Amino acid sequence: MSRLFRKTMTWGSVLLMLTLVLSACGGSKEKGSESSPAASPKASESAKPSESASAPEGVKLTGDFEIQYFVGGYGDAWWKEVIGEFQQLHPDLKIKESAGPKINDQMKPRWIQGSPPDFVYIDGAGSNTRQMVTDDQLLDLTDWFKTAQNSDGKLLSDMLIAQPEEYQAGKVHAVPLVFGSWGTFYDKALFKDKGWEAPKDFESFLALGDKIKADGQMSVYIHTGVYPYYINGGLLDPAIVAMNGYDTSIVKKINSLEAGVWSSEPVKKALDKIVQMRDKGFFDKGSPALNHTDSQSQWLQHKAAFIPNGLWVESEMANDTPAGFDFGFLPSITQDNGGKYVANPYVATVAIAKKAKNPDAAKAFLQFLYTEAHGKSWAELSKAPSNIKADLEATNAPALTKEASRFYNSDSTVVSPEVVIPEELVTERNNATLALTKGDITTEEWIDRMEKATEKIRSKENK
Amino acid sequence: MNNAKRAGSARMKRNVFILSFILPTLLLYLVFGIYPLFKGIYLSLFDWSGGSETYNFIGLDNFKEMMNDDVIPKTIRNDYILVFGKIIGFMLISVFFAVALTRFNIKGSGFYRTIFFIPNVLSVVVVGVLWRYVYNPNVGFLNSAISAITGKTYDFAWLGDKWSIFALLPPSIWAGVGFTIILMIAGILAIPSSLYEAAEIDGASQWRQFRLITLPLSWEQIKTSVLWIVMTTLSGSFVIVTIMTFEGGVDNATQVMGSYLYMNAYKFGKFSYGSAIGVLILILSFITTVALQKLMNRENIELT
Amino acid sequence: MKRRTKFSGSRWLMQSSLFLWALGVLYPVVWTVLSALKDNPQFLLGRPWNLPDLPLIWSNFSYVWEKYSFGHYFVNSLVITIVSTLLGALLSATTAYVIARYAFRGSGLLYYSYLSYMMIPAFLGMIPLFFLMDDLYLTNRALGLIIIYTVTAVPFAVFVLVGFFKQLPKELEESAAIDGASHYGTFFRIMLPLVKPGLVSVSIITVLNIWNEYIFALVLVNDPTKYTIPVAIAVMQSEMQYRTEWGPLFAALLVSMGPVLLFYMIFQRKITGGITAGAVKG
Repeated sequence: MSRLFRKTMTWGSVLLMLTLVLSACGGSKEKGSESSPAASPKASESAKPSESASAPEGVKLTGDFEIQYFVGGYGDAWWKEVIGEFQQLHPDLKIKESAGPKINDQMKPRWIQGSPPDFVYIDGAGSNTRQMVTDDQLLDLTDWFKTAQNSDGKLLSDMLIAQPEEYQAGKVHAVPLVFGSWGTFYDKALFKDKGWEAPKDFESFLALGDKIKADGQMSVYIHTGVYPYYINGGLLDPAIVAMNGYDTSIVKKINSLEAGVWSSEPVKKALDKIVQMRDKGFFDKGSPALNHTDSQSQWLQHKAAFIPNGLWVESEMANDTPAGFDFGFLPSITQDNGGKYVANPYVATVAIAKKAKNPDAAKAFLQFLYTEAHGKSWAELSKAPSNIKADLEATNAPALTKEASRFYNSDSTVVSPEVVIPEELVTERNNATLALTKGDITTEEWIDRMEKATEKIRSKENK
Repeated sequence: MNNAKRAGSARMKRNVFILSFILPTLLLYLVFGIYPLFKGIYLSLFDWSGGSETYNFIGLDNFKEMMNDDVIPKTIRNDYILVFGKIIGFMLISVFFAVALTRFNIKGSGFYRTIFFIPNVLSVVVVGVLWRYVYNPNVGFLNSAISAITGKTYDFAWLGDKWSIFALLPPSIWAGVGFTIILMIAGILAIPSSLYEAAEIDGASQWRQFRLITLPLSWEQIKTSVLWIVMTTLSGSFVIVTIMTFEGGVDNATQVMGSYLYMNAYKFGKFSYGSAIGVLILILSFITTVALQKLMNRENIELT
Repeated sequence: MKRRTKFSGSRWLMQSSLFLWALGVLYPVVWTVLSALKDNPQFLLGRPWNLPDLPLIWSNFSYVWEKYSFGHYFVNSLVITIVSTLLGALLSATTAYVIARYAFRGSGLLYYSYLSYMMIPAFLGMIPLFFLMDDLYLTNRALGLIIIYTVTAVPFAVFVLVGFFKQLPKELEESAAIDGASHYGTFFRIMLPLVKPGLVSVSIITVLNIWNEYIFALVLVNDPTKYTIPVAIAVMQSEMQYRTEWGPLFAALLVSMGPVLLFYMIFQRKITGGITAGAVKG
């Protein structure tokens, strides 16, 4: 009897466990199938381009509207201002801001779960527009973008410096908002003091590097080893284009994951520049352990002469900049004697979630952003150029921004398209390049690893 | 008959008692602890990138991919460097200090007990940030001290090297050893003092007392500590790794299974692959715990 | 005579290593204090052990205090920690007791199912858990974190407490049964007080784990008013990545360390005392 009872009890508890687990599974499944039909008509509705493509003025927007934006080196002053204006324009709209420096991590589950915010500014660590397109998270804006106008009644596409990147052939999923630049930075005041001249090509860079080394006061070149995409963007990518005879088509090949592009001659030659710098002992030994602010402050304290970075460095380090420091910018340092500069832009985009609950408001907001006035206010509030065409001369945009735009407008500069590759490949390239600068691997191993990693992704994307 | 009935109702009472003590906990645990994990394991059999709506059942393909992933062996190696480094460091330090603080009437032992636990009350985030600056190549404590002593500028990048995983051991030990010290102290204090008195009378040396009384009788606490270290390290080492070396150091030099899981799931959007790594962690933890348990039981027998 | 010298030699070794370790434990804290009172140039150009220049930069603290409302986060963390620690202690002590002292089928299975939970990184279940919590309207709410923290505290507590309950002598229950005590009475009046040291050390660990927990809090709470302290620090720290203010960063670390250190200093007598007294009694 007791045995029987005990047996029943044990089985009872097992059954109970099973029921619990099953009901939990069943419950969630039910929910899933419930929510997807509800979501899909909305999605197909929002794909219709017609109604909201005109100027949004006069359209009454209501309901909830959630904006996700990353807060980094550019700050959030501009976002606060434009969202405030937009709210005044549409008082019935309930705007929710999801923002901060960790917002990409924080919102990840919502994107995965399928309840994303309506509008997103894609920037900062953990964000990758191409990845979001691959994962089918962003609304296809192709048709809408053809006719969409901004609040001033001008065609959106006319307002852009860089046109949208086609992450999928012929499709528009995201509109570039920030247009910055990678490059190599130095202190003009220091160089003047020491009688050094900013290098015009790789040869003069090497000569100057030898001089700096002989001087013994500082290392030649410091970079952020924790985020090696800085050295990829500031040094390697421009070098690849320069070694390809200033033909930017190689970036297209990289972006389309073409087989053999990493083992091509231009890439080899570009990597060889890094090897030369390494063998001459130009890289600061602390670099591999430094994050961007660490490396930047070392550089500002004249512990190193050059640093690969982006235009945002000036505003980012405003509190740390010693008096008299004069930011100098070079688009590239790896070109051959007498060659052109290669400028590698840095682009951050805005987009609308495919599963946005209020796509009309999101579109209206997008149209609202791209006006000349907002382009100017971006330059002033974020201290960096935006992708909106606006006359910045009259504004108090920082000197570095103006210097960069002189390079960008010059005939002796080739503007390269941005390298946009899947996040996994970005990481592999970060790892390989850093290992190369340390001498842990050879150029051949770098190439091997990249070809292998690209092949893996290619086979997956074609599946 | 009557007796049987009474026995039956007593058994009934006993069973109701057992159920009432087990079920509330189990219920919460199943719904909020187990179910999400099983769902996660279940997902490791699919090709699901997180955002997409399509689930493709691919069976064990994720595990096959793992075999060809060059990073995986590195992460396993690093995890075990941490596990065994921590076991050795934790146990040597905590047994030594626990004995010192209990068996040797040392002045200020209360003070030390208080102080030693302090790192344990700090968040790993705080510990990571602090130690990052200890190791900072240019402005950090360690290199500054070496430079000051040798008189030459020393700028080794402790966290930027092929073997940086070893640099993560000191902060891990520093941050956690206070707990095992307390556990060992409690264990040693639970040993009846009459045993020591008898040993003292027999003229046994401190070392003999340690070997014959302290070690075997606090063996339960040592076992608990070791298993605790194994499990928390394999499943939790990822936090210190990410905070101190961000995405796993130079070319995955400090990447551990947990951080690699996180990176795959959250950064690359390969959630299923990440889940597969989670399953790997589960299997390895299980094997390691069982093996260590067996090993320590045998030693226990040898000792007594 | 011979034994005496050996004895004092090992004493000396112990004394000095204890002292050194104490120094190693305290120094980073001292260093945080020093750094919190420096400005950027001092931090970057001076030796790390240099005393801060006068006047001290006290504004680092007010800056952090005003900019990031820590009082609010403190209350959030406090409520969540206390409630889930108490719940976790109750739920795990009951289960551990039954596993340790009652023979019933499935008890081994139960024990190992709790144990195995500790081996799995929690974020393996993160995405499904997020869906579940969202379906139950438990995201962005303290209750959601309380439930999760209670559940995550249980396995470790069961693991340790089973060991403690097992060490209690068999005669205790027998004599209790002779006295006519019920199962509940035996547990609450006799057994539970006897494992107090175990319960205390487990609760300390639980409190600290929950107080410092970061991943669940980050994912399950997006509303800035509902942040717990670790999330607030992490957010602040990453904001500082874009502003580089070392003094304030260390001031912030100090602000976050302060409450826990204080908590520990207040309760440490209870903690060490409780463990010691209980262990001797048991």
